[in-house]
Amino acid sequence: MTDSQSPLIVEDATIGYGRVAISEGLSVDIPEGEFTVILGPNACGKSTLLKALARMLKPTAGQVLLDGRDIHTQPTRAVARRLGLLPQSPIAPDGITVADLVARGRYPHQGILRQWSAEDERVVAEAMAATDITELGARGVDELSGGQRQRVWIAMVLAQQTPLLLLDEPTTFLDITHQIEVLDLCAKLHQEGRTLVAVLHDLNQAARYATHLIAMREGDIVAEGPPAEIVTAAMVDQVFDLPCRIIDDPETGTPLVIPSAGNRGAASRARELEADALVKDLV
Amino acid sequence: MSALSSPLRAPREAGRSTSLRVGGFSIRVRHRVFVAVAGSFAVLVAVAVWSAATGSTPIGLDRLWAALIHEGTKGDEYIVWTLRLPRLATGLAVGACMGLAGALFQNLTRNALGSPDILGLTQGATSGALVAIIVTGASAEVTTAFAAVGALVTGLFIWTLTRGGDPSGYRLVLIGIGTAAILAGINGYLLTRTSIIDAFRAIYWLTGDLAGRDWKQAATVAIVLGAGTLVIVFLFRGMDALRLGEASATGLGVRVGATRVIALVTASVLTAGAVAVAGPLAFVALAAPHIAARLTGSARSFTCAAICGALIVTAADAVAVAGIAGRQLPTGVVTGVVGGAYLIWLLIAHRKKGVLS
Repeated sequence: MTDSQSPLIVEDATIGYGRVAISEGLSVDIPEGEFTVILGPNACGKSTLLKALARMLKPTAGQVLLDGRDIHTQPTRAVARRLGLLPQSPIAPDGITVADLVARGRYPHQGILRQWSAEDERVVAEAMAATDITELGARGVDELSGGQRQRVWIAMVLAQQTPLLLLDEPTTFLDITHQIEVLDLCAKLHQEGRTLVAVLHDLNQAARYATHLIAMREGDIVAEGPPAEIVTAAMVDQVFDLPCRIIDDPETGTPLVIPSAGNRGAASRARELEADALVKDLV
Repeated sequence: MSALSSPLRAPREAGRSTSLRVGGFSIRVRHRVFVAVAGSFAVLVAVAVWSAATGSTPIGLDRLWAALIHEGTKGDEYIVWTLRLPRLATGLAVGACMGLAGALFQNLTRNALGSPDILGLTQGATSGALVAIIVTGASAEVTTAFAAVGALVTGLFIWTLTRGGDPSGYRLVLIGIGTAAILAGINGYLLTRTSIIDAFRAIYWLTGDLAGRDWKQAATVAIVLGAGTLVIVFLFRGMDALRLGEASATGLGVRVGATRVIALVTASVLTAGAVAVAGPLAFVALAAPHIAARLTGSARSFTCAAICGALIVTAADAVAVAGIAGRQLPTGVVTGVVGGAYLIWLLIAHRKKGVLS
C-alpha cells in the first residue's frame, strides 16, 4: 500500500476497445473527497477513462490502482464495496419495482446465507430517503419519469455503501430541470464525504458542480484542476475548438463559458455537425 | 421491435414479503412466490399420485399405498415399483431439468425465446442420438450417451461463437437459431441415409417418450438435476444482478464472464441429461419458466420453473398413457401439442398488449 492521497490512480495506461487504443500512456489521480468531472468533446475518451476506473475495461498496458493495488487483482466483490458505478444505460428488468431495484445494490454485501439482513433493509431505506424516492417504493421503474428513474439508479448505487462513486453521463437524456436535480443530488453526496467521479457533457454545469476538472481531448488529458483555475478561454478553445469568453456565473461565481458569436465560419460548423453525427452513429 | 429482441413483459415483481432472520442467516420470502411454489408443488404431488394410481391398469389409492409400503399383491408391487415409479421419477426429474435449463437460458439471454429448443441444444442432442441409432445401430444406453454428448458439444459450440464479441442475449439467440437450423439440416440428412427400421426408431426417439424408463435412467437424470440445482444455488444471485446489464453487474461485483459461462454450461448439462433420457420433449423448457413467471410474478423463480417443468411432463405423461381411444401416445406428442398451444396463446396475448409485434 502506498500512502497516497488518491484512492484511484491510473498509471501510464493504454485503454481501448479490442485493438483500438483510445488513450495511450494515460496517467490520472482521482483526488480523495473531491467531485471530479471528466469532460471533453465527443469521442475524447472520457467514458473510456471512466470504464477503466470502474474496471470494466482492462488496460492493455499500465494499470489502475484502487487504494494502491491493481484493481484487477482485487476480488471484484471487495472492489464493489469500495467503488460504485452508475453506467450510461443500465437495464431495469421488466416489471421491477423501485424498492426491488434499489435492493439490488446490496449484492456485494450479501451471500447465499445472508440474503436480506436487517442492515440491508435499513441501508436500502436510507438510500431511498437520501434520493427522495421513498414514496415511489412500490411503483414500477418503467412508470417513472427520466429524472425519477435516474434517482432510483443512484439510490441503488448508494445502497452499495461505497466511499467512491463513478457516474457515466448521469444527466444525458434528461431535461434541464432533471439535470440540475441530479447534479444537486451529486453535490449533496459529495458534501456528505464521498469521492465522486462523473462524466458530463455540459461545460457550464461541470464548472459549477465540480471541485476538480479533468479536460480531455483525443484520448489525452489537456488540463486538470479546480474549475476556477483551469477554465480559461484558451483551455476551452483548445479542448472544444470553441472561441469563447469566460465570465463569473452570477449565481455561484464559478466560471461561465459564453461561446463567441458569429466568428466561426458556417463551413466549419457544418463539418463539426457532420462529425458529431458520425460519432453518434458509431456509438 | 421483433419478437426476438423484445423480451416478454413479466408481471409486476413485488408484493408483500416476510423477512426470515436466524443468526447469520437471512432471507426475504415474497408471499406471492411462496404461495405459487407451495401451490404448484401441491398440484404436482396430486398429479403424480393420480398418475401412479391410474395408468393403463387403474389400481386405486388403497392398492397404490399397499404396494408402496410393500404390503400389496405381487402384481401390484410389480406395476408400482417396476413400471410406474421409475417412469414417474424419470418424468419428474426430466421436467425439472428442462424447467431449470429453460429458466437459465431465458435469464442468460434476457429473452423470452431463449430455450434449448430454440438455441439448438435439443437439435444437437438429436444429432447425437441419430448418429448412435443410424451409424452404430446402437443400444439405448449408447443412444443416451451420444445424445448427451450432442447437446454438450452444441452448448460448447454456441459459447465459443459468442465469446469473441459482444455477448449480449440477442447475439446468443441468433447464433443459437443458426446452429439449430444447421443441425436440423444434418438431422434430416442422417434420416435419409438410413434403413426404414432405423428411421422409425429415430423418429420415435425424436418424439420423446418416457415409456419403459427404469430406475437407472431415473437415477441418471436425478444426479444431473441435483448437480445443476447445486450450481444454480451459487449462481442465482449473480444471474439476478446480470439482468441489470453487464455494466451494472460489473459495478456490483459480479464476475460477469464466469457467471455467463457457468450458466451456459449448467443449462447445457441439464438439457443433455433430460433429452438423453427422455428424448426432446417439445416445449417443456420454453413453457415452464413462462408459467413460473406468471405464477410467481417474478422472472427469477428457478424453484417454481423446476416444479412447473416437472408438472408439465408428469401431466403430459399421464395423458399420454391414457391415450386416445385406448392407444397410448408418446409423451412428446402431448408436450408438443400442449406447449405449442401455450406458446401461440402467449404470442397472441402479448401481441394484443402491443409488447410483441
